Amino acid sequence: MLKLKLEALGHPTPSDVALSDRKEFASTVLWVEDQKIRLYTIEDREKLRNIDNPAIWEEGYLSYCADLNMPPLETQQEQLAWILSHAVRLEFLDDPAQFASINSKQGPPQSNGKQAQKRVQSIFDGKINTQEKEFVDAVRLLASKLNVPHHPNHLLQLEAVARVVHERLSPAAKGRKPVVGKPFPFDKGNDVVSSNDPALDLPMRILRLLQIQSLRELQTHINETIVAVQNITANPKTDTKLGKVGR
Amino acid sequence: MVVRPYNDELQYLQKVSDHCWRIKKGFQPNMNVEGCFYVNSRLERLMLEELKNSCRPGAVGGFLPGVKQIANVAALPGIVGRSIGLPDIHSGYGFAIGNMAAFDMDDPLSIVSPGGVGFDINCGVRLLRTNLYEKDVQPVKEQLAQSLFDHIPVGVGSKGIIPMNARDLEEALEMGMDWSLREGYVWAEDKEHCEEYGRMLNADPAKVSMRAKKRGLPQLGTLGAGNHYAEIQVVDEIYDKWSASKMGIEEKGQVVVMIHSGSRGFGHQVATDALVQMEKAMKRDKIETNDRQLACARINSVEGQDYLKAMAAAANFAWVNRSSMTFLTRQAFAKMFNTTPDDLDMHVIYDVSHNIAKVENHMVDGKERKLLVHRKGSTRAFPPHHPLIPVDYQLTGQPVLVGGTMGTCSYVLTGTEQGMQETFGSTCHGAGRALSRAKSRRNLDYKEVLDKLDQLGIAIRVASPKLVMEEAPESYKDVTDVVDTCHAAGISKKCIKMRPIAVIKG
Repeated sequence: MLKLKLEALGHPTPSDVALSDRKEFASTVLWVEDQKIRLYTIEDREKLRNIDNPAIWEEGYLSYCADLNMPPLETQQEQLAWILSHAVRLEFLDDPAQFASINSKQGPPQSNGKQAQKRVQSIFDGKINTQEKEFVDAVRLLASKLNVPHHPNHLLQLEAVARVVHERLSPAAKGRKPVVGKPFPFDKGNDVVSSNDPALDLPMRILRLLQIQSLRELQTHINETIVAVQNITANPKTDTKLGKVGR
Repeated sequence: MVVRPYNDELQYLQKVSDHCWRIKKGFQPNMNVEGCFYVNSRLERLMLEELKNSCRPGAVGGFLPGVKQIANVAALPGIVGRSIGLPDIHSGYGFAIGNMAAFDMDDPLSIVSPGGVGFDINCGVRLLRTNLYEKDVQPVKEQLAQSLFDHIPVGVGSKGIIPMNARDLEEALEMGMDWSLREGYVWAEDKEHCEEYGRMLNADPAKVSMRAKKRGLPQLGTLGAGNHYAEIQVVDEIYDKWSASKMGIEEKGQVVVMIHSGSRGFGHQVATDALVQMEKAMKRDKIETNDRQLACARINSVEGQDYLKAMAAAANFAWVNRSSMTFLTRQAFAKMFNTTPDDLDMHVIYDVSHNIAKVENHMVDGKERKLLVHRKGSTRAFPPHHPLIPVDYQLTGQPVLVGGTMGTCSYVLTGTEQGMQETFGSTCHGAGRALSRAKSRRNLDYKEVLDKLDQLGIAIRVASPKLVMEEAPESYKDVTDVVDTCHAAGISKKCIKMRPIAVIKG
């Protein structure tokens, strides 16, 4: 997603931005400010230009975030995503007419966050306020213990935590035999997704695999049900006296 | 029929690529859409020779050449896309065998034709795998062939060894493989690996004549005659290792069992009954066709609906039939190797139908349309991720089982996206006849045919040896040519090749 936004903004090397590296992060922020956002005058960007001097840069960045009115985001990745989105928005507002012909017939996609909130709320039956700081902190702690990646919406993160617990840690999962057989690289199958766009190809393949996994689960349940019924009804018979070979 | 000199006929045919020919409108009268056929250079020669022979003055009688039949089908009301001939195409009743055609369900004039399904309704191929290897089976193959022959009655007029009464038959016609499951003849996983999950839901036994039921009842669990067979085969070549492993085929030499059979006399009677009804309907609704054999009725007419319901019952009959033979095969193997079918891992890899009409959704001119797809001597070949194929094959594409001729080889292919776009997800079904039955009987000697199989080290048990030359490899096109054409044209992809070590036949 970040890559797509960088591409949209015309970043020279959108695929090569190392997100974990603070210095690269700093230079990307500077690039966006220089080229697109231009919140400060050129002279005011001096502190942000000190990429090689982290202490000064961090100070400048902190005030830059505040001046941009960035909401409190925790990870570097989220912050960059926000800044890039902001830049895209500004680009768009420069000349909205240019994009007038582009529209989405389905209307805006439903926000994942809202759905997750509804689901979680229904589980807790309104007895727990899921927006309370204590609750949020607990979810964050749980997530970090289980190595679940950070997400700005803690309820989505909670869902991911639930999935990890269900798949890996539940008693049923612990008793499961490990999968045997030769693993096969999943990007080498007969199915074509979108070979010229790896940004689309990989997530599509992963989503499809997840879908296949849940279908397999369903089919296994169906088979188990059939076998249970067979235990009551089945009584296969043969009678060789009936048989007759033709001419 | 228009009779023109051969060279004039050729004006209507155009080679569009190495493996595909186009049949232009006007080749036969009233063509609604164009036709096409898939061939390689050798099959192309056969195809054009057949046309040439029919152009000779005084050539009368017998079926029309395959190309003409494709074009006649293209003239049927409601057809969409193209009338498509697969590489194994050869003349048949009305439709050529190896011709597929799709009709728009939303067009009130669209028709369904029993000739587009064939007389052996839901004739198909089932493949069972085992965890045995050639070395385990070679020493006992004669006994094993005999054991299969004892378990699965074959030949014209054979009777099955699974006791059934009239009520059982009614239930089986309605339930298809679910009946076999309920009675415990097959495994739950078998249903999963079968087209339509082994049951057509619109089957209505009440639409089937008494005569058909009487013919069908004793024949359930029998192989039949003609080109039907059960073969013990070994994996000879693996082209797509990964897809093969998804099917449980790990290495060369692994033993599999192929069963090729259909709905026996039951389906034949259903088709015959329907043809009589449809001739009346054609007169009433004023449906014109180029060939009397293309009897048909509007899909929404009483006759059309009755036929589809009876055809579905016959399809269910065929699935119960193949399921019963699966049961008997497992028994035979288990006895031979003193173990259980479970321990032999005798799972159904897949079960395909190559004589059937089904309602499917396809993209036509960029829009999704509901179509009645006739496949006669043509196998469905859906691509990866199609919702109608089993979850285990979502990544590989649907397995397509192509039975060769006696003593040659058979193939497993997989469906492709290109096939979905070009041929409504259809591909070849087998070798396809090159000589008529009568011609084979005249030209070949049955003893020679049997000796040849013996030399190849293939054990054979046959109910009527004097008819064996009808099924000799010489009577058929080369299945490898057929499969290679499908692979090269991209309408399906080669996965596994098998060769037989034991055959039982009618």
